[in-house]
Order: sequence, then structure tokens, then C-alpha cells
Amino acid sequence: MTNQGAFTIFIAAIFINNILLSNFLGMCPFIAVSREVRTAAGLGAAVAFVMTLTSGLNYLVYAYLLEPLGLEYLRYIAFIVVIAATVQLVEMVIERTSPVLYYALGIFLPLITVNCAILGVSLFMVIRQYSFVQSLAYGAGSGVGWALAILAMAGLRKKMKRSRVPAALEGPGITVILAGIMALAFIGFSGMVPM
Amino acid sequence: MKQPPQLSQAQARMAHGALTRDGFLGTDSRNLVEILQDDDGRVRRLGLSHADLAAALQRLTDAALAHLGAPVVIDDRFEVRSVEAMGRMPCPFGHPGLFVKAEVHGRRLDTGETLVWTPLSVHLIGAHGFYQGRGSPYRLDPEQLAGFLGMEGKGPEDVT
Amino acid sequence: MGDVLTAVGVLVGLGAFLALILVVAERRLVHSGPVRLTINDADPVEVPGGEPLLSVLRERKIFVPSACGGRGSCGLCKVRILEGGGPVLPTETPHLSPEEIEDRVRLACQVKVRDDTAIEIPAHLLEVEEYEVRVEAIEELTYDIRRVRLAFGPGVAFRFRAGQYVQIETPIYDGLGEPVYRAYSISSPPQDTDAIELIIRKVPRGICTTFVHELLLVGDRLRINGPYGDFYLRETPAEAVFIAGGSGLAPFESILADMAARGVRKKVTLFFGAVSRRDLYDLERLHAYGERLPGFAFVPALSHPDPGDDWQGETGLITDVVARHYGSMEGMEAYLCGSPGMIDACVRVLTDKGVAEDRIFYDKFA
Repeated sequence: MTNQGAFTIFIAAIFINNILLSNFLGMCPFIAVSREVRTAAGLGAAVAFVMTLTSGLNYLVYAYLLEPLGLEYLRYIAFIVVIAATVQLVEMVIERTSPVLYYALGIFLPLITVNCAILGVSLFMVIRQYSFVQSLAYGAGSGVGWALAILAMAGLRKKMKRSRVPAALEGPGITVILAGIMALAFIGFSGMVPM
Repeated sequence: MKQPPQLSQAQARMAHGALTRDGFLGTDSRNLVEILQDDDGRVRRLGLSHADLAAALQRLTDAALAHLGAPVVIDDRFEVRSVEAMGRMPCPFGHPGLFVKAEVHGRRLDTGETLVWTPLSVHLIGAHGFYQGRGSPYRLDPEQLAGFLGMEGKGPEDVT
Repeated sequence: MGDVLTAVGVLVGLGAFLALILVVAERRLVHSGPVRLTINDADPVEVPGGEPLLSVLRERKIFVPSACGGRGSCGLCKVRILEGGGPVLPTETPHLSPEEIEDRVRLACQVKVRDDTAIEIPAHLLEVEEYEVRVEAIEELTYDIRRVRLAFGPGVAFRFRAGQYVQIETPIYDGLGEPVYRAYSISSPPQDTDAIELIIRKVPRGICTTFVHELLLVGDRLRINGPYGDFYLRETPAEAVFIAGGSGLAPFESILADMAARGVRKKVTLFFGAVSRRDLYDLERLHAYGERLPGFAFVPALSHPDPGDDWQGETGLITDVVARHYGSMEGMEAYLCGSPGMIDACVRVLTDKGVAEDRIFYDKFA
């Protein structure tokens, strides 16, 4: 068990180990839903929320169910099931309690079930042997980091509407190149906190 | 290719029989996001914007609708005439408001080229950059549309 | 062996537990059990919770008009929600003015009935019923306009006010997914209660009109619902102008026949605008009202007569013809039926001529 402070983990997950730009997880929605800033913000917020929630829940499932029974190898399936159920539940709760928020964010929720970044965060949390609080911090940090990355990308793509992109690279092509350049920029943060 | 859920919802509303009998996608099997991206690129390679094309088309549409079905000549170059129906129809992207149900038949007096579009087509181009799917009855190829409107040949704009 | 069983057991247990939570949550949150719905101060009725108000009302055979099938984009299904309904949703705000929001107007297709709800809808919607009718006759009026006569079954008397409209349920044809509803004005007089006539113009690529023009045969059965609308003749002493375009003649034929049958006296001029002679129909019938109705005049006008039409009557856009016909129109009433473009243009000309805006009547479905 590492004994880094939860706040350090939170900050590190946003900048240094950005789940999107250093692990390249959650790329499909990153490319497909970054055309407009507003939708990117909606999806980013939904991902951050679900990531925090599922990392906590998956920690409980792993630490109190799978580990005691020696069934660690089942974590892939168990985590996915938990994530899918959580997303469904969150969707229902939001629709019931705040229809306004549901319309702002709810339509992105089903898309998240299959977001590999969410599963990735739960799996990293196990590999790095985080505690419950650390897991929550890591989940929240990764979520915020992912949201930050997609927002930055949406902003860039908005500017790019006025630029001349070679025809063959239009759309996803140039987006992947941009993601690469952004990842390079984020390397600048590495070394700030040892992970 | 994946697309935001709003586009998937819009795509469902564009299906055959959902809002209109023929739908907006024709025989195009691509996802809406790809249709939008493809046409967006084609318009930019013409050195034009969706707003330019929509504004020019809107002017002809307004003139045609104002003449209640009678043909009218604009700029000595276009003859336009509307075929209006009763009722209005919604935008498949869920945009608020209703659009007049009508066809506008346009003809270039110098070249004899003809084009048919609807008031909703103009909105779809201006607000959504959507020229409808291949094989849709009101598909407007950006190149053909620009040619009809006499807006082609500027070449890609230079952006520094 | 034991390991495998534990593993399977844990997974099944976890899955079952989560499924259970979801089922309970759905019961609790989405379908919140029966709730009470009060319509226009009538006795509350029990309806299932969690469904959109529009479909709840349709289940109860209350047909609130809607053009987009409950997708929140046409903004026609406005109702007043006095109690319940929750906050105004972002999908509704574009369709509602600040006054309407203040007045608790909502879109029935977007509001979900979750708690006890009280609503107010126009009283005439409660009289709307569904009918099965038989196509009795089809008459070609022009190259693109048909008159269709629909007979109700024996013992059914359809009551409506002259000027109202019905909705036809277009059956599923040609691989279309779901039935759609389209509105058509009744052209026959309300004194005929065993059958109605509709005048239907073929709309390019229209779902319902294509069906009526290409597939509908005498003897076919159709489902309609109605009557709708508050487009009827105000029996005031004021002089009235009727302006019709295309198939928009329908409600006026009903109103004129009703006036003749009941001996209503009112000074009325009917303007009928069309492009060329081939778009005109029912001229003799309408001219004949000149003898039966004192104070009635009929003015057909062509905006673009063909050279071969040999047209002696008025020419020009219908708005110009109306404007030429009158000096000041102050104190007059205007009744409009035609395409939205024609209605907008007429409203502009009429208000310029001094007709009060609340004295201009037309159906919102157009």
C-alpha cells in the first residue's frame, strides 16, 4: 500500500498521469464527442462523476468480496458489471431528482458504460494498492483530468474550424495527431510528483 | 464511427417515415457524424461556409414563398417558385420552432440548371451544416449547390 | 472444483444483487405507481406514473394535437399544469414564452406524470373522439386536389362546428414505422352528421397526402379523430373577409353551407387565391351562394394565369387583390385558411389595413 496523500494522488491523476493523455484510455468518445465545447463539457462532467463513484464501489467489491475469497482474477468481469449497474442507477436517480441535470448530462451516461477509462481507473487502483480514500481521490482526479483533456481538445477543434487541414487528415486523423501533441505537452508535468 | 447521443437521436428522427415519408438520409448508410464531416470538408474546400450557402438560398426561398406559388425572377438570373403545403414541420436535430412545409423549385435562367429544396433544407444547412444523405430527395451536393448559386470558383480561403 | 463454484457463486451473487437494486430502483424511481390526474376540475382519475403526459392523455382518448409525435420539437402540445409536473425542462424552454412559463404552460410530450397532477386543457379537446369511417366517394377537383367523403357507421352521428378539422390516422404503408396523424378541415356542412367531406391537396412527398392520393380507394376504412379547432364563424354584426388558398377552401365551404342552412346574415366576401386556372375548383358552387346568401360575394383570383387560361377575373397575389378591394378595413373580421406563407402575408396586409389582430382567425395547425 502506497502512503501518498490523497490530495497528491488527486493532483497527480489530473496532470502527471492523465488517464487520457498518458495511458490513452477513453479515446473513442474523446475523438467523437470533442467537436463542440458544450457537449464535451457534458460528457466530461458525467465521466468525472461516474469515475469517482465506481472507483469507490469497485474498491469495496475488490477489498471485501474478491480479495478475501481469493478471486482477484474475476475483477475484470466484476468491475464491468458494477460500472454498468452504477451507470444505470445514476441515470435513474438523476432523471428522478433533477430532470434539468438529466437533460444536461444524462444523455451522455449510457455512453460511459463502455468507456475503457472508467475500467482502467478501477484496475490501476488495484495494481497500485490504493486505500479506499486514495482510490476515491484517484478516481476523482482521473475523472477531472479526462474532462480537462476533452475540454481542451474541444477548444482546439473549435479554433481549427477556421484552419486548412489537409483533406486526408480531416476529422479523426487530425484529432489523433492533436492528442499526441497534447500528450507531449503533458509530459512536461512528469517528475513533479513521483508516482 | 461513434458519435454523440444527440446526433444518434437526430439520426433516428431522420429515418424513413419518422418525421417525413422519405426521411433525410436517403440510401446513405454512413453515420450522421460522417455525413456532416464529409460535407463540412467539401464546403471548406470550395472556400465557402455553411452560412454563406444558407444565406444565398434563404434569399431565394423567401422570395419564392412571398409570391405564394407564382414564379418570380431574382437578379435576372434565378426563377424560383414555391409549392406550399399546409402545416409546418419540426427540425430533426430537435431545434426549436417549426418550418414551413414547402418545396422551392429553382431554375437558372442562363444555364437552365434546376434545383429543388425546402425551407427546412436551408435551416439544416445554415444551423447544422447538414446537406442530407446521399439519395435523399432533397440532398444538395455542396458543389452542385454552390454552382447553382453562382458561388463556386473562389478556391480555398487562406487562413494565416 | 470448490474454487470454480465459489467464483461462479460470487459472480452470480454480485450480478443478482445489482440486478435486484436496479429493479427496485426502477420500481421506485421510474414507475412510481399509480398517481391521480385531474383534468379541468373533473374528478381525479388514476393513471400509471412515469409516463409522458401526452401518452397518458392519449391512452385516455384525449387527443392533444402534436405534429412531431412527442419529440419535443413542434411545440404544439401545450397544456397548463396547475399542480405537479416538476421544473420546466431545457427541452421545453425554446417553445415557451416567459408569459407562458409564468402561466404554467408546459409541453405535454415532455412532462412526465410522476406525482399527483392537475392540468387544464381546452374544453373542446375533451369532445374529441376516435371514429372508424368508410371512404364513400373520392372526387378529383384539380390535378392535385381531391375531395374525399368519409361515412360514419350506422347509428353514429358526428357533431362539429362549421370550420373545425379532423385528424386522419395514416395507416402504416410502404415500410413506414408508425402511424402518423395529419389534420384536414371539414368542407361539408355540420347538418350532415352521417358523413364528412375533406379537401386534400397532394403535398410533395407528404406521408398522409401521398397515401390519400395514391393508395386510398372507395370502400377503404380509415380511423379519424376530431373535431378540433376554434376556427368557426363569429356571429357578430361585423363584416367579414374570408381568404382561402389551395385546399384552404374547405372550412369556408362548410361555413357557407351552414350559414345558408341556418339563415345566418352577415356581410361576407370570400377571396380564393390560386396560381392558374388549373388550381381552381368548386367555382359554380361558390358563385351560387351569391343568390342564397344576401351580402355574400365571391372573388377568385389568379396570381399567374397561363396564357391559355383566358382569365377575366382578378389577377395578382391574393394579398394584393384583398388590399385593392378595400379601403380601410377597420372593424372587420378576417378568416384565413391556406399555407403558412399565405397566412403570414395576409396577417401583415390585414393589420396594415386596420383589422384588429384578435379579429383575425386561422388554424394554428397551418
